[in-house]
Amino acid sequence: MTAETGSPREAWRQDGMSFRQRVRAGRMRWIDDSRHFPGMLLVPVLVFFVVWNLVPLFWMLGMSFFNYSIITGSPPRYIGFGNYLDILGNFSVWQALSKTFVFVLGAVGIETVLGVVLGFLFWGSSTMPGRRLALTLLFAPMILTPAATGTFFRLIYEPTFGVANHLVQRFFGTSINFLGDRSWAWFSVLAVDVWMWTPFMILISLAALGSVPKAELEAAEVDGLPWTRRIRHVILPHAKFILMLGVLLRTIDSFKVMDLIYQLTRGGPGNTTEVVGITLFRKAFEGFTMGWSGALAVIALLIAIAFTSIYLYILNLSRAGKEAA
Amino acid sequence: MDRQCSRSMLRYLVVCLLSLSVAMPRAIAADHPLKGQKIDMAILGIGGWLPSRLGVDMSPMFAKYAKEKYGYDVSFTFAEAPFSALFQKAASTLATRSQEYNIIISDSQWLGALAEPKWIVKISDLLKQNPEFNIEWYDKVIRDSYQIYPDGSNDLWGLPEEGDTVALFVRKDLFQDPNEKSAFKAKYGMELPQTFEDWEKISFAEMEKIAEFFTRPDKGLYGTVLQYSKEYDFMSMYLYPFQWSLGGQIWDPKDGRIYGILNSPENAEGMVWNKRYLKYQPPGAINYGIAENIDAFTQDKVATAFQWAAVGLAMINDKNRDKVMVVPPPGVRQKDGTIKRLYCIGGQPWVINAYNDKAHMTVAIDFLKWWYLPDTQLEFAKRGGNPAVKSVLEAKGFDSIHPWYRAYKYMLSRSRDFWHEAKYSEMLAAQQEAFTAYATGQVADPKVALEWAACEQQKILFEAGRTKIKPPASCANAQLK
Amino acid sequence: MQRDWRRSVYHVVLWVVAVIFFLPILWIVLAAFKTKDDLLAVPVKWAFRPTLANFVDLVHRHDFFSSLWNSFLISASAVVVALVVAFLAAYCFSRFKPRSTDFLMFLLLSIRMVPAAASVVPVFLMYTALGWKDTFWGVMLFYAMFSIPFSVWILKGFIDGISQRFDETGLVNGGSRLHVMFRVVLPQVRPGLIAAFIFNLIFVWNEFLFNFIIGGKKTTMIPVSLVTGSLAQGGVDWTFVATLASVYLVPPVIAIYFFQKYLLVGMTFGTVRGEV
Repeated sequence: MTAETGSPREAWRQDGMSFRQRVRAGRMRWIDDSRHFPGMLLVPVLVFFVVWNLVPLFWMLGMSFFNYSIITGSPPRYIGFGNYLDILGNFSVWQALSKTFVFVLGAVGIETVLGVVLGFLFWGSSTMPGRRLALTLLFAPMILTPAATGTFFRLIYEPTFGVANHLVQRFFGTSINFLGDRSWAWFSVLAVDVWMWTPFMILISLAALGSVPKAELEAAEVDGLPWTRRIRHVILPHAKFILMLGVLLRTIDSFKVMDLIYQLTRGGPGNTTEVVGITLFRKAFEGFTMGWSGALAVIALLIAIAFTSIYLYILNLSRAGKEAA
Repeated sequence: MDRQCSRSMLRYLVVCLLSLSVAMPRAIAADHPLKGQKIDMAILGIGGWLPSRLGVDMSPMFAKYAKEKYGYDVSFTFAEAPFSALFQKAASTLATRSQEYNIIISDSQWLGALAEPKWIVKISDLLKQNPEFNIEWYDKVIRDSYQIYPDGSNDLWGLPEEGDTVALFVRKDLFQDPNEKSAFKAKYGMELPQTFEDWEKISFAEMEKIAEFFTRPDKGLYGTVLQYSKEYDFMSMYLYPFQWSLGGQIWDPKDGRIYGILNSPENAEGMVWNKRYLKYQPPGAINYGIAENIDAFTQDKVATAFQWAAVGLAMINDKNRDKVMVVPPPGVRQKDGTIKRLYCIGGQPWVINAYNDKAHMTVAIDFLKWWYLPDTQLEFAKRGGNPAVKSVLEAKGFDSIHPWYRAYKYMLSRSRDFWHEAKYSEMLAAQQEAFTAYATGQVADPKVALEWAACEQQKILFEAGRTKIKPPASCANAQLK
Repeated sequence: MQRDWRRSVYHVVLWVVAVIFFLPILWIVLAAFKTKDDLLAVPVKWAFRPTLANFVDLVHRHDFFSSLWNSFLISASAVVVALVVAFLAAYCFSRFKPRSTDFLMFLLLSIRMVPAAASVVPVFLMYTALGWKDTFWGVMLFYAMFSIPFSVWILKGFIDGISQRFDETGLVNGGSRLHVMFRVVLPQVRPGLIAAFIFNLIFVWNEFLFNFIIGGKKTTMIPVSLVTGSLAQGGVDWTFVATLASVYLVPPVIAIYFFQKYLLVGMTFGTVRGEV
């Protein structure tokens, strides 16, 4: 590389590189030697982050201190923390938040349990005929356009025209209004979310189980360890990380859920299924009250950040613990 | 003057007149500022809504007309969004003063929201230059609903694209069946209504009997179907008839008072009645909007349906054409025996983007002038639209073009719009929540729901500076449960 | 013998599970071949006369091909851009371990946490001010940003799993750093790349809200077309929705079928290099 005598350029010229090649090599060299190389690598990602994320976020944050409704035509009015106080004192917002928590717990809980169980089931099936096809079919719910999912499940759940009630009438003799009956609406909506995202958790579980080193598994089998101990001492320590990451991703996404519920019930009946995402959407898009909805978004974001930080902290601890062990 | 002089003068005069008569038409044609140009116009319309679609489908006819009469080329592109998302799209683009859409087919309630920030052109300003817009409408309600903002003023902001009212679509084969007639008479002691005139005399109470009679779940038939969906304005539109026909009001437009007016005993009674009707509707009706209502009727699941005249073409298809008649929906019987009907008006006005440049503005105005020509309106009617021009509606043979026209005209003078208020969207969302909460049983007492809605709406208006009336202190404890 | 029998039962059970999940989608796909009345018929009509009329109608729609093309173009470009940017960043985080790594990784994750409805309006206003509304680059770069966080997390995991020895060898042999990155390390993280590509592609492929608000006539993708076209005559155009949804399902399903191996490995975030 560097000649014993003279500069690299000398060496290159001696090597017979053309002028162009030398310029290019020089540029590369400059890049390589630059102390700022790591920084340069980060520049694109930071540009993206600032332009498409920080700018809107700061706008939202800024707006949250104003009383501003785009459609009244009147200019924004500074009200300090007025929006925040209104939100925190607003009973329906707390209702929406609690509904959101219930939804997240229910959805992520069921999806994780089902996903792990089914993932386990599919784990040992490498000899299954058509495994690829079966798994593709299994993953299909995640791929269907949410707009179509919502539309068709509305039809499926419809008491007069839908399959679901038809089956209920056939087998149970009664009729259930899945989306219109207050006691059923939650379960119906939850069921659709579970249907859509359990495959994701199955995928995560398969990956998590796959991350367990084969050597240890074989050792456990040879040693004749019972399954419960196998899970606790061999599988879990390795699989935990990916599994928890998957749970984290799902939690973040279901906290924001809006599209699905909006399509199925619009937050109804009444406001039984009104989660924070829907309240936000209505205030931002029907009322165009940018200040209030901005404040709510900031609050939701803070909650999400708080939970994620705690979660990642625990995750990191477990990972550090595993590496130390 | 001597003869020679006068003759040459005469010749001179004749030549002058002749050349003028040749030059003048050319001068008039050349007067149109856009002659020879090519303009692209964009219309934003309501997706999947037939009358809006018609406005768009007929625009090539205008292109032809403009070429012949004014000498310019115009081409149209369209964008659509469903009802519940259209306002968002329109507001987002107008808020940024964009020329993306030159003409917008708006819903009548949005007039305030679009006019207040001056996003649309004030039609009253155009009247002097364009007297063609001084059209005589079929009923005063047309002007009030599709043009005037604020309510009670004389400012016009839109021009009706189509009018719309609620009508009752009836399966006349069921009603005219002799077995049904005798069974009904035996059970209730009254006759099943047969003709348009019969239906004019039906009250909500009698309608309830009719609906009950035809509710046969084991045979998959139900008495009637309305709309109760929380989406957009569906619930409100079908609850208002009960409330208004009983004498309830929703606000006082002069001072923006809602509390005390919305939460009235009449409105509560209307809600109870409206909820009771659910018993005679298909089980999923609690979530029904326009689409499901159409499906229920066209799939022969209901004997009658309360539905907008605008979707007449969807309600009446080749399969059921001979079995359907369209009549006025019921009202409330007054002490003197007459029926009071006060329903909600539908329909959409054209509004013009205020940020159009001169060329597009001119084309927009030309387009709208063409729209109200009798030939255009007739074509519009033939294709299934509902015109609002008096001369068209009263023309001979109009009623027979489509089966719902008679009911449409009848209901036009018995319909009203609700607020034309800039904050309508938020107010609507609040009352949709409250009304559906009661209809679904989440809230047991209609007065509680009304109280909450009135508080919310008063708060919305007050905080937006639209009214000086604050929500009363009791509102702090109002909860929807 | 008994083992074979048990194994077969096991496989059948797995297939049943897969089919159960797929059933609603099967119904939708079948609906694309039905007439509207058949679709709405209750009980569900499994035996019906199939028709291709819906597909014919679909391709005759004026915006079908343009929306489809937009979907392909925008999704693919956005994810490719995201992958490049994410790779650079992931390499940096993995090899140079700047002090702010954890903080930045968390920051990227936090992008996902912002509720879409809240950020749409500021993004919309920003785009209108810059004139990016309804431009290919504007929409595409926005989706690229969407795809970056997940890609960074996956790629970092994979790059972490590649011994630094490779890098050192490459540098010693005279390669520039960029050469090492793209010629030595990149090929080895292929599963991660593919997994990130497919995952983000599906997400952008199905995105509706931002496309509706910041997109316009030139950049409409299929989900927006589907929603705006789903109402006809005031009623839901069931056959249209079924047909379009089915057609739209095909490319991602094909991708998942053929790249499944990589997807499974990729989702391990780098803890596995071989087969899952």
